[in-house]
Amino acid sequence: MAAFRGWRLLWPGRCWFSQTESAVPQQAPDSLYPPIVASATAKSKAAKRRRLEHFHQRVHAAASIEEKLRLYGQLQRPKYTVYPQTFALNADRWYQSFTKTVFVPGLPPRAVLEAAKAPEGAAGVAPEAANAPEPGAAAPGASKTPEPAAEAAALLDMGELRSLACDALLQESFYQKKKRPFLYCDQDHTPGPFLTQLVSTLAAALCSRNPLLAASSLDLKPEVNYYWHHGEEVIVHGHRKGRVDPVRFQIDDNPHLQIRVPKQLPQIVPLESDLGEVPVIDHKPSKLPLFKRQYENKVFIGSKVADPCCYGHTQFHLIPDKLKRERLLRVNLGDQIEVVNRANGIASLFAWTAAQAMYQGFWNEADVTRPFVSQAVVTDGKYFAFFCYQLNTLALTAETIQNNPRKNICWGTESKPLYDVVEDGNVKGFNDEILLQLVRFLLNRPKEL
Amino acid sequence: MAAAGPLVLRRVVAAARSRAVLPIPTCGILTRARPRPRGPLPRTPWTTRGPPPEVLAQTVERRPVREQVELDTITYAGRQHYLPGLARPRFPPWDRGWHDPWHSPGPRYEEMPLYKERGCYVCHQGVRMLEGVRQAQWLTKTKLVAGLPPPVLSILDNPAHQLQDCEEGVKRAISHARFWDTTEAAPKRERYCPTLFEDLIHLCRLMSMKYPSLTKRMLARNYKIAAAWERESILLQVRGLNGILMNSVSPIPPVASKEEILATEEHVLETFYPIAPTIDLQEVNVYEELNDTGFRDSYPYPHPHTLFFLESANNRPKRFRPEQLRAKMLMFAFGNALAKAKALYGNDPKVLEQPVVVQSIGTDGQLFQFMVFQLNTTDLVSNDGIKNLVWIDSDQNLYEAAQCLPEVKKRVVTKPAGIYGFQPDTFKKFLALYLHGAV
Repeated sequence: MAAFRGWRLLWPGRCWFSQTESAVPQQAPDSLYPPIVASATAKSKAAKRRRLEHFHQRVHAAASIEEKLRLYGQLQRPKYTVYPQTFALNADRWYQSFTKTVFVPGLPPRAVLEAAKAPEGAAGVAPEAANAPEPGAAAPGASKTPEPAAEAAALLDMGELRSLACDALLQESFYQKKKRPFLYCDQDHTPGPFLTQLVSTLAAALCSRNPLLAASSLDLKPEVNYYWHHGEEVIVHGHRKGRVDPVRFQIDDNPHLQIRVPKQLPQIVPLESDLGEVPVIDHKPSKLPLFKRQYENKVFIGSKVADPCCYGHTQFHLIPDKLKRERLLRVNLGDQIEVVNRANGIASLFAWTAAQAMYQGFWNEADVTRPFVSQAVVTDGKYFAFFCYQLNTLALTAETIQNNPRKNICWGTESKPLYDVVEDGNVKGFNDEILLQLVRFLLNRPKEL
Repeated sequence: MAAAGPLVLRRVVAAARSRAVLPIPTCGILTRARPRPRGPLPRTPWTTRGPPPEVLAQTVERRPVREQVELDTITYAGRQHYLPGLARPRFPPWDRGWHDPWHSPGPRYEEMPLYKERGCYVCHQGVRMLEGVRQAQWLTKTKLVAGLPPPVLSILDNPAHQLQDCEEGVKRAISHARFWDTTEAAPKRERYCPTLFEDLIHLCRLMSMKYPSLTKRMLARNYKIAAAWERESILLQVRGLNGILMNSVSPIPPVASKEEILATEEHVLETFYPIAPTIDLQEVNVYEELNDTGFRDSYPYPHPHTLFFLESANNRPKRFRPEQLRAKMLMFAFGNALAKAKALYGNDPKVLEQPVVVQSIGTDGQLFQFMVFQLNTTDLVSNDGIKNLVWIDSDQNLYEAAQCLPEVKKRVVTKPAGIYGFQPDTFKKFLALYLHGAV
């Protein structure tokens, strides 16, 4: 027991008297003397480094992923709570700097597989499985041109999917008799149930084309958490005043809906790509405003490590009533509408992909060897914005970020309306492009499937 | 003890005679005058039906003693302050003189526009019936058949209608709901019951790969049903939020044959005298006899297919017991079927040529109750005639136990974590009820 207690006392940041030696480094076989290393308990920088090394070795040598996560988040200290859905001005740039993310407007050029199966009913000239970039405006798929038999089976029936989407929308907003929404609860009245219906029916309708969806797991209102260190600061007050401490962040996110899959999505660009610059912000995070709290350091993707569906596919976020377009426009913050969507996409997807990477055993000292890709749709019921995220690096702490050229990349669109208005049982101005983009997102899968 | 015997008897007799005069010592067991009756009441005509009217007329309504003696006539109201010998006055309630909306008691029941003299008994989602399914059967004029109906059983037995890797998928769904869905050690029932339901429905929806008509289904949550009917001069209603309804484009074909429907004419509904069949129902005097399916007329998914009830309260007393849950399922399936029938065929009571079939599944996360209800007639006033039919398959366990953390006794693992007693048949029945009507 004494040995066990001594092991735990060698903690970075705690100067406790230990009774045992930590793991000694391997000594050369011809040396008669034990290796000369710094003390493990002294109040010196070398001792602190040695304690940190010991901690890193313990995490590397952890027996299971749960043990690794437990050790990673064992030490609790005040940390900044980052909210993906925030009213802070220009929060997307701040979040990019916290997560070392490059934001690229527009979505990445999709791989060939989905393009061949795309619904261009009128585009009979679509070549067989070549790299056909789809035309921007999707033609209404109501009239299907006679295609060769091989392609006919693979064509999506856009009309059917559009009718499913319209049915879901009309049921929630028109056909089902509902009372008036309660005060400030508009999002739970119609857009929330509509989003749930839409995604579940579309996922069920598309699972014949995407076997990944057949093995997927649909979570309603799951919890996604991630804890990380980025940068350093000097502690301003308290008994630890004057010490240099890493800046800790925690994201606790509750997406409206998410789809988890057992196989990882393919990478979009190679691991070491550089598609832009990460914004550098010279202020402390508390100026955003961000506030510090101390509580449990959680890393969670929506279900525990034992779940076979450990990779993420798509998340769906519903903008709350506080951050609705009308409210922002009323206080002359119209340019912040896109900022809200982008901040939500970047923060939520970073937390999700990083938590997925930690579930596979990577952490900031053991950086990812393959990129982790996930998608997200941020909506307020009418306007949809699509985001793709590729996690290339987890090494964001002050020591590991120095020689790390990799950056995380987030692609995102502006929010566009799915329909204009719902009147008397009819949906006016339905936008097929948005539905097509949603379908493309749901059909995304690894190349071997 | 011969001496003690007559002694006791005399004492009892003496106590009975002199009870009004002498105070009986209340301590000791020997001083009881007459033992309290402990068994059920003797069933005489007076105890079951009450005294005959001539005896009732003779007993005079007794006024309280204080009124008889006129003790409260003289009060200290006029003297403006308390006096020890005089009675406490009762003042008339203070009237503000003007209508203050923040301090007004609201209209009384008798002044409300929908007030009716005749009371109506309402069944809502919080009603727990004492007699359970028997009571629901009497109220809805239904004949019970145990087990699931033959068309559903044929879907069950048909191997073409099974999901591939069905067992693996169901085990994964149970593990996800019961073990993996939370950051804590074990999720609570409020979390795992809806999650299990969602996962099972997700698995069932995957069958739409084989049968494209399954995509023509839509789930509706938080919808309100309203149906009203009369049963032997009792007005009954089913109202309010009930469960999750799955609507479909086409109706379920009738499950029972014509002969079975005609055979229900001879069936006699079970009564449970002396309990009235309206026990536990809420009696209201302010009501409107409404028949509303909860959706507008031009709804593209007009036919109710299956009702799902999730008993997800954390505390056991707040959850419905299986018998009460089955009764609730029957009442609401009947309510949905009746509202739909009245919307299709009008309000006149008649025997339906095309019976309306509504299914219902109730669960508390582990135990499943399956029910198929067929509405044959809307003529429910009399006790004779064609009755409705219900098939109930009750208390199907999906799994016996789900151990989140291994049970350790004296540092030895006695029960490792995992699912115990998994029964794939329950999910097969769930899937069969889902596929019913589309295959």
